[in-house]
Amino acid sequence: MMQSRGNVLIVDDESSIRRALQNTLSGMGFEVSEASNGEEALQMVRQAEYHAVLLDINMPGIGGIRACREIRRNLPRLGILMLTVRDGEEDKVAALDAGADDYITKPFNIRELAARIRAAVRRAAVSQADPQAPIRIGNIELDPARRLVRKAGEPVHLTPKEFDLLHYLMAHAGLPVTHARLLQAVWGPEYGGELEYLRTFVRQLRKKLEDNPAAPAWLLTDSHIGYRFAEARPD
Amino acid sequence: MSSAAAIRGRTERANSRPRGASNWRRVFLLGFRRLRGYLAGPAAVALITTGAFHLHLNLSTSGSFYFLVVVMVAMTWGFWEASVTSLIAVNCLNYFFVPPVLTWRVIDPENWIALATFEITALTVSRLSARVKGQARAETRQRVQVEKLYELSRRILLLDRSRTIAPQMVALIQEIFRTESVALFDARPARLDADGPQSAALEQIARNAYLRDAASAGLDGQTWSEVLRLGSKPIGGIALRGLELDRLTVAAVASLTAIALERARSFEKESRAEAARQTEQLRTAVLDALAHAFKTPLTAIHTASSGLLEGGRLAPGDAELAGLIDEQTGHLNRLTSELLQMARLDAARIKLQRERISVLTLIEDVLARHREQLHGRRVEIADSSSGLEVYGDRELLVTALGQFLDNASKYSTPGSPIVLAAEENLGEIVVAVHNEGPPIGAADRERIFERFYRTEQTRHRAPGTGLGLSIARKAAEAHGGRTWVVSEEAHGTTFYLALPPAPKKPYDAVPRQCSDR
Repeated sequence: MMQSRGNVLIVDDESSIRRALQNTLSGMGFEVSEASNGEEALQMVRQAEYHAVLLDINMPGIGGIRACREIRRNLPRLGILMLTVRDGEEDKVAALDAGADDYITKPFNIRELAARIRAAVRRAAVSQADPQAPIRIGNIELDPARRLVRKAGEPVHLTPKEFDLLHYLMAHAGLPVTHARLLQAVWGPEYGGELEYLRTFVRQLRKKLEDNPAAPAWLLTDSHIGYRFAEARPD
Repeated sequence: MSSAAAIRGRTERANSRPRGASNWRRVFLLGFRRLRGYLAGPAAVALITTGAFHLHLNLSTSGSFYFLVVVMVAMTWGFWEASVTSLIAVNCLNYFFVPPVLTWRVIDPENWIALATFEITALTVSRLSARVKGQARAETRQRVQVEKLYELSRRILLLDRSRTIAPQMVALIQEIFRTESVALFDARPARLDADGPQSAALEQIARNAYLRDAASAGLDGQTWSEVLRLGSKPIGGIALRGLELDRLTVAAVASLTAIALERARSFEKESRAEAARQTEQLRTAVLDALAHAFKTPLTAIHTASSGLLEGGRLAPGDAELAGLIDEQTGHLNRLTSELLQMARLDAARIKLQRERISVLTLIEDVLARHREQLHGRRVEIADSSSGLEVYGDRELLVTALGQFLDNASKYSTPGSPIVLAAEENLGEIVVAVHNEGPPIGAADRERIFERFYRTEQTRHRAPGTGLGLSIARKAAEAHGGRTWVVSEEAHGTTFYLALPPAPKKPYDAVPRQCSDR
């Protein structure tokens, strides 16, 4: 008998998708529950404890984004993953602003989905951890207390803002961080629209950290949305 | 136009007899109205003379009566009528009442003085009272014209917007100002509208007012024309013919007409824009619904097939079949996405959401979107790309370049690098995606941009929909740009996307910099 990898709540108005997810995810070791709309989901997260919620954006009734906001208000540590069919970036940014940890576009690969769920579940643990604790992902190490960064053991010189940027992204590894959130976290609350400058800093960081800056392995772009620091590959 | 004029000509000739008769009556009435004052004064003088003579009234009493008549004529008709009356009166006074009576002789010099004083006073009082009367009449006239103009402006707001405004305007002016004829020339649709017996002549005058950009007044004092203007720009001409018109009224009617025409035009423009917006909304809604309808079953199938494979409990033959479902679902999904993209691009007037984008950012976005596909591939970005900007729809441009990249990764020699470069060339920003590999045949180089066209070699070699490159071309064309390919055995294949450069930044739009401290 496989050990449970976590309790997952699937919220989608399409029963075919709920059925497919129910079977595949439980086959992969998750405990799975279902809800067919946002209202039902709000009720269920109050009654039972879940590690992650898969929330369809486009649902009748209160809809995914409002449901997300409501859930996040009561349960700040619950992993929330949005499902969307559209490529509309506004929807994704709105979902992330409403407190979602991540999003995935339908149709998705189940392995990719499982990896995103795990990252969202882990977020709780990461944010509870000591913010000054060193982070190591792949061959990149970041020590917040000493403000040191090493790549494959070699120190890398970063400017203060480059360091803060990298720190924020690595602390949220595996999850997308919107441009606006990144600018506000690193430069201050009055920032939010200076995308070209953010891109310049990310470009600099890639030059210093990536083996091939044109095809980054760690500092990934989420088109139109923001950036994401890749998770360490389980190898 | 010419046939309409001919028909109008015939109608005028057919109507000429009764209209001619009524003209004579008009002339007669007009003449009578003018002569009334000249006839009434002397008649009154004759009456008073007869009465006073028989009653043996003295000089001063009869003089007072005459004076009264002169003043009344002045008040009723005017100075000239009163002058004629006063001259006849002074003669009657002399003949019938100044001794020796019934002769023209005057013996007493005092009577000379009395007669002269009578005439001078009568003329002076006539002059004053006629002036007062004239002023009152002008004021009344002005008030009436202002009332009519107000009425016109109020009625303009009530015009039927679903019908053409110009003919309604002509009818309205005719009705309110009781003009004889009106002609209106609207320059933008080059449309003439007229009403009244002098239509044809007035049409010419209205058009001339616009063409010569000058107002005119007819010699008869009844025909007027004015240029219709918006600000200083002429938009047409108007000509009116009628008795109670003056320069100021005609000018005011012209500016109200210009406003009415322009108002109708902007309403029309607005409703056309609204209709286009609604069509666009509907199209987007239908496409989104379609996307949802296709993607939902695809998601369920893809989840199920990838779940089966992930479970690892399938017999080898079953795993093969599940793999086939998985692969073909992916293919169907790409096809659906590309067809939807194509439908959006085909939309008659695609709405570009243009913004200023650095080419480097564009390339980064494209690479990010194709990260999975490019896994393990060597990708190089040429240094020349930095600093260039385009002004376009980010999503469309990323899609277009993505198709090039997709093509390069599919058809290149495995292990060879893919190179992205950009440069400014002859006023265009040219982005190139280069790969090494077997060249594209000369005959295919243009046809691969056609919808669903796939070359003999590619048809069996790599999965594809045959839509990708046509999407890239359409996206480029929507920006006023172009696409082409250069392919040679020795140098490999390069796809090009050329776009007009971003317009120059205004000086005051220097964005805030993020500090590095």
